[in-house]
Amino acid sequence: MALPGDDLESGNSATVCKRCNENEATHKIRSESVCAKCFAAYVTTKAVKRMETFKVRASSSKAPRKFLLPLSFGPSSASLLYILDQHLRNQYERMNRAAYELYVVHIDLYLDDADKKESADLLEKYKGLFSRHTYCSHGLDEALSLGNIDWKALGISSLWQVTERTSTERLQQLIGSMPSATSKADIISTLLTRLLVEVAKENGCESILFADSTTRLAEKTLTETAKGRGFSLPWQVSDGASPYGVGFNYPLRDILKKEVVAFTSLTAPSIKDLVKLPQPLSQISASSKTTTIDDLMVQYFESVEENFPSIVANVVRTSSKLKPLINYDVSACSVCGLPVAEGTDGIYGWGGDQNSVSRAATEDTHRDILCYGCSRSING
Amino acid sequence: MAPVPCAICKTSRALIIRPKNHQKLCKACFIAIFEAEIHHTITTTALFSPGDRIAIGASGGKDSTVLASVLKTLNERYNYGLELFLLSIDEGIKGYRDDSLETVKRNAQQYDMPLKIVGYDELYGWTMDQVVETIGKKGNCTYCGVFRRQALDRGAKMLGIKHVVTGHNADDVAETILMNLLRGDLPRLARSTSIVTGDSTSDVRRSKPLKYAYEKEIVLYAHHKKLDYFSTECLYSPEAFRGSARTLIKSLERVRPSTILDVVRSGEDMAKLVPEEVTGLSQCKSQKVSLSSADGEEDGSAGCGSNGRSSGGEMADMERKLQDDEAASGREMEITAVPLTNGQQHARVAGKSRKDVGRKLTRQTLGTCKQCGYMSSQDICKACMLLEGLNKNRPKMEIEIDVEDEESSTLRRKIEGLALAAG
Ligand SMILES: [Zn+2]
Ligand SMILES: [Zn+2]
Ligand SMILES: [Zn+2]
Ligand SMILES: [Zn+2]
Repeated sequence: MALPGDDLESGNSATVCKRCNENEATHKIRSESVCAKCFAAYVTTKAVKRMETFKVRASSSKAPRKFLLPLSFGPSSASLLYILDQHLRNQYERMNRAAYELYVVHIDLYLDDADKKESADLLEKYKGLFSRHTYCSHGLDEALSLGNIDWKALGISSLWQVTERTSTERLQQLIGSMPSATSKADIISTLLTRLLVEVAKENGCESILFADSTTRLAEKTLTETAKGRGFSLPWQVSDGASPYGVGFNYPLRDILKKEVVAFTSLTAPSIKDLVKLPQPLSQISASSKTTTIDDLMVQYFESVEENFPSIVANVVRTSSKLKPLINYDVSACSVCGLPVAEGTDGIYGWGGDQNSVSRAATEDTHRDILCYGCSRSING
Repeated sequence: MAPVPCAICKTSRALIIRPKNHQKLCKACFIAIFEAEIHHTITTTALFSPGDRIAIGASGGKDSTVLASVLKTLNERYNYGLELFLLSIDEGIKGYRDDSLETVKRNAQQYDMPLKIVGYDELYGWTMDQVVETIGKKGNCTYCGVFRRQALDRGAKMLGIKHVVTGHNADDVAETILMNLLRGDLPRLARSTSIVTGDSTSDVRRSKPLKYAYEKEIVLYAHHKKLDYFSTECLYSPEAFRGSARTLIKSLERVRPSTILDVVRSGEDMAKLVPEEVTGLSQCKSQKVSLSSADGEEDGSAGCGSNGRSSGGEMADMERKLQDDEAASGREMEITAVPLTNGQQHARVAGKSRKDVGRKLTRQTLGTCKQCGYMSSQDICKACMLLEGLNKNRPKMEIEIDVEDEESSTLRRKIEGLALAAG
């Protein structure tokens, strides 16, 4: 199989690596042909540079800092774990201590027993390979017991009246009650984020290290914009504090998705067998009921990345310039928990909400504070 | 199959599925609600005051024709007290405007509105045909675009009118937001979202009363009101970024019809998050009023870019430029790591810990052109600079523009919209 990063120029005679001038060039960094070794070094350096400040801080404080690393088993999180494991190993070798510790967490999204077993086995393999770190796993259903989400706002309080249901069944009912595939994906990602924040806090992690690539962050920029969540971008694509009281950081933000994928075949020890590749996007039909906005953006940026990688990076640079608003009254969305301006009424009460006649009737008079995006997902 | 009753009046048969929210409506209720929504936009944003003289930028296309028709209706129904004018631009391309200007002339009679047609020759001393003769076909869209941006404002000034309304719809605004994200232009993104550009201090304000109206609903309205409009609005296909954003918006709309509105909302919210050093505007100001379109290509429907479609050249050019920038500053940039902030202190909210890794943000300040007095961020505005160049050399080159194959695509879009009307 030819990986996107693998393509050589017009493959007559072997090209020599532009960086070391020794080995045969097998990969590309943007337009530069390089060997596998130089390519792997490039990816590693990009990620480690983002973590660099840790070394400095380590000398001043005694206890190592703790970071949560969410591991989905995809190419990005697997690569990040590999790179940081190496980084920490180097620190031990040179200084006999490390600047930080990793708390690796896997969240099970699919809750049937076979899937759970499979992911538990896979997590064991990661543990075997990178044994230095702490590991744990949680089911997404645990998000249902988070006290800081107002489930009434989701309009399905009936879920809690029937006590004999398992949390898995409740989660499935909750997701099933969402009006579209996009809304389902949206609520899943909200629950995932809130659960990760909870796990990070419970375990004393000061930041979450998300493994999003440049391409993924560009997708997110446009996906969130398309879902009416433009207001939340400062916390979704930038490094730093989140409103949840835990830092969000993206060490792979300078690496394209195709570069991350290519990287997974170059590691020693190999992680190739441990990586779950995403389902290939066979021509998504835009009319299909199961297609989500997220799917469309993945597909869109796959082609942009192929021809215009720097434009992908520029999208991320651009959205990272957005700054959270300060100095205004805020309250939190009852579902996603992000700050919204006082007076925000979900998809209602703004210029684009032009008449009440076309509104769907709401049963309850009490309306919870919802951000535009969550309100859209609930109301369809 | 039993006929479905209209969701609003519950009596008439529903014949229209509203593209915006898939509500099933009868013809009369659709027309009523479409007008009521634009009335809502006009009143909640206090767009007009009694006695205002308003120029409607009229191209003869569906958007501006619907705008003229709706404004006339609302002005009479709600006693806005407006004096409405039609203002059309003639670029001076032989044959191109003939049909659309005929349409506008008929509209002027139908709506009983005074019409003013201003030509590029009158405004700039050059027709587009003469520009093409001088500089050749390549690059002429730059001239046309720059001239067009100022033409409506200059035309309004000639009429002594201080407020121009244009037919930009929600699709155009959403497209512009995505486009500016794709090409990394936050100042333009921020500007494009506000309903009014320019304020009381500027000579001519611009606004877009159809900002929240779906293109498909505009087509439906024009169709059911049997409005007289010209189906080719735009001579050229859009440039690559806009074309790409347009395709994306269409796909998104199919997956979730509300997306067009949702993108507009995101854009409005994001405009408030663009730091002052990027916009050159204070936050409170940028929320309500924004700069004029002096330097901006905000005009969604006024596409001009004769070779954008086939080559994707604009995106390739930008890619090349970005790669050069990266190569130049690459080494330094790699060292500037963003420090991880402690989650407990909301350091980023204080705006301190984030260092911009990319290029320097240039502060834009707004003044007026020293030559023509038109709003500009430079001493001499782009139009005057281009004119200076043109006036210096008038070499002759005979080049023809071919206009033919563009018409079909606009027509196709129109038909797509109409297809939904089948109830
Ligand atoms: Zn090499
Ligand atoms: Zn929310
Ligand atoms: Zn009706
Ligand atoms: Zn000027």
